[in-house]
Amino acid sequence: MMTEADYYALFEAYAHGELAGPARANLEARLAADPALALRYADFAEMTSTLRAYGQRQQTRQQLRSIHAAMLAAEAPELLAQPETKLTHTVNPMLRISRTERKLREFWNGHRATVGVAASVAVMAVFATLLGLDLWKTSHLPTPMGYQALRREVERIKKSQKDLKLTLNTQLGKETLPAVSSKFSGTGFALTSEGYLVTSFHVIQGADSLLVEGRNNQHYHAEPVYSDVKHDLAILRITDKKFNGFGRLPYAVKSGQADLGERVFTLGYPREDVVYGEGSLSARSGFEGDTAFYQVSIPVNPGNSGGPLLDERGNLIGVVSGRQNDAQSAAFATKSSYLVRLVDSLAAAKPATTYPYHLPRFGQLAGSGRPQQLKKLQDYVFVVKVFE
Amino acid sequence: MSRGNPTSSSLTPTDEALIFAIRGGDERALAHLYRLHWPMVSHFVLQNSGSEDDAQDVYQEGVMVFYEKVRDGSLELSCQIKTYLYAVCRRLWLKRLTSKSRFGVRLLDDEEHGPYLNTGAEEDLLTAEEQDRRFATMSEALNHLGEPCRSLIEGFYLLDKSMQDLTTEFGYTNADNAKNQKYKCLVRLKKLFFSHYKEEPI
Repeated sequence: MMTEADYYALFEAYAHGELAGPARANLEARLAADPALALRYADFAEMTSTLRAYGQRQQTRQQLRSIHAAMLAAEAPELLAQPETKLTHTVNPMLRISRTERKLREFWNGHRATVGVAASVAVMAVFATLLGLDLWKTSHLPTPMGYQALRREVERIKKSQKDLKLTLNTQLGKETLPAVSSKFSGTGFALTSEGYLVTSFHVIQGADSLLVEGRNNQHYHAEPVYSDVKHDLAILRITDKKFNGFGRLPYAVKSGQADLGERVFTLGYPREDVVYGEGSLSARSGFEGDTAFYQVSIPVNPGNSGGPLLDERGNLIGVVSGRQNDAQSAAFATKSSYLVRLVDSLAAAKPATTYPYHLPRFGQLAGSGRPQQLKKLQDYVFVVKVFE
Repeated sequence: MSRGNPTSSSLTPTDEALIFAIRGGDERALAHLYRLHWPMVSHFVLQNSGSEDDAQDVYQEGVMVFYEKVRDGSLELSCQIKTYLYAVCRRLWLKRLTSKSRFGVRLLDDEEHGPYLNTGAEEDLLTAEEQDRRFATMSEALNHLGEPCRSLIEGFYLLDKSMQDLTTEFGYTNADNAKNQKYKCLVRLKKLFFSHYKEEPI
């Protein structure tokens, strides 16, 4: 009786073709006749082939590993030797990098989506903050909290201005308005009959050019002559050649202080039309106790800045400058005494100027009713348009 | 009739020559192939949260599948070698990722290597997996076999040593003794192997 090991010896010899003719035929016949033997042979064949394949695989694995090592070793010269190879993959240089960098790169590869999102959020946040700050600054820059300078941002009401232009154009035929619309506007008024105007400094702040527009749609170009940042005053001069004086001004500039409780009024351009505002002088100091200003109880709006503040007899006692946001109808106006002082110092500094300062000394408004006063006055109050 | 026929139309001449050379057992050709496509796979794996080592493992596994198919002539390529390798490695890496991750895995693919579907890689991988299981069982069985049987079998079948060498190495008096010992070992190995291999569900 043959043991299984004996059969294996036989099988191996058969598989290697070492069996002689008769023995071989004998085995083949038995394999065909005996299913148990055939199964045994099949098992043997499967096992030996698996073993061989397993050995082969281990060899191949070893081979691949050595190829990989050789590739890593030959990486640098290979790169130099084959510059025409497309380097579409950025991973090539990775093979020569330090351990730390490799860690970093792995981290980057794993997290770059997250990092990208975080970075873009950060960038957006930064820009939003900067933009917001900038916007906030442009609207609040020269003023402390709670104080609002009253120059009007024209962009905000562009639409209504367009409508106005349309009506103007249809009404006035060929009369053309400046193509660029102004960015800000405020109010200004005549200071002398020779063409000096007064407005608030913050109205013309950062201005490239100024356009002064009167009630009858006459408009002039103007240039700033002097600015007093501290008291929020600016003096402009009309530069147009065709301009030939305002004529006699109806109001006088008061050099002294006005009294508490005096009835005061102002004219200004918070809209396209001139707007009258009335109230009384409620304090002889301004925002946070600034003695250069009056506090008046006139409802004022952006655009009123630079408007004249007059008392009942039609004397100019101040220049409207701003209001307090968190208080009911608390507006502030620069005292006219500062204006007088400013003009005096200017006149003293430039005595030989071709445009002398002649402040109006006597008003013509005293005694007449308010509508009559306003009728005279409104020809001397202008819109100051600021182009940046 | 494209089975095992490397002259299929989508193969470039270089691919064809490579396959021919590899089938002929040219180690340089294999090395060349390996170097040629390594950047692609390494880039892919690195891009999909793998490490350099992962890339190497996956790539070697993939090349192995390719190589074994080339060697036994059963390779059925309907695309470029590059695409085939990409598909195989992609599948392998996807499998590893899914086993590692609790969440669904989405892979970032390089458009230039598509279409990686219908490359026959799936079926090839299934057979390769079956083969892997067989090898794992074999390795297990060899581990349980004990000395000197194990060394003897490994020496003869895995390392291709001649019976003569083994006889001297293990101190048998003659080659026949060694052979007899080997057959006995084979019988034991067979029992171990089939008891493990067959009882596992497929």
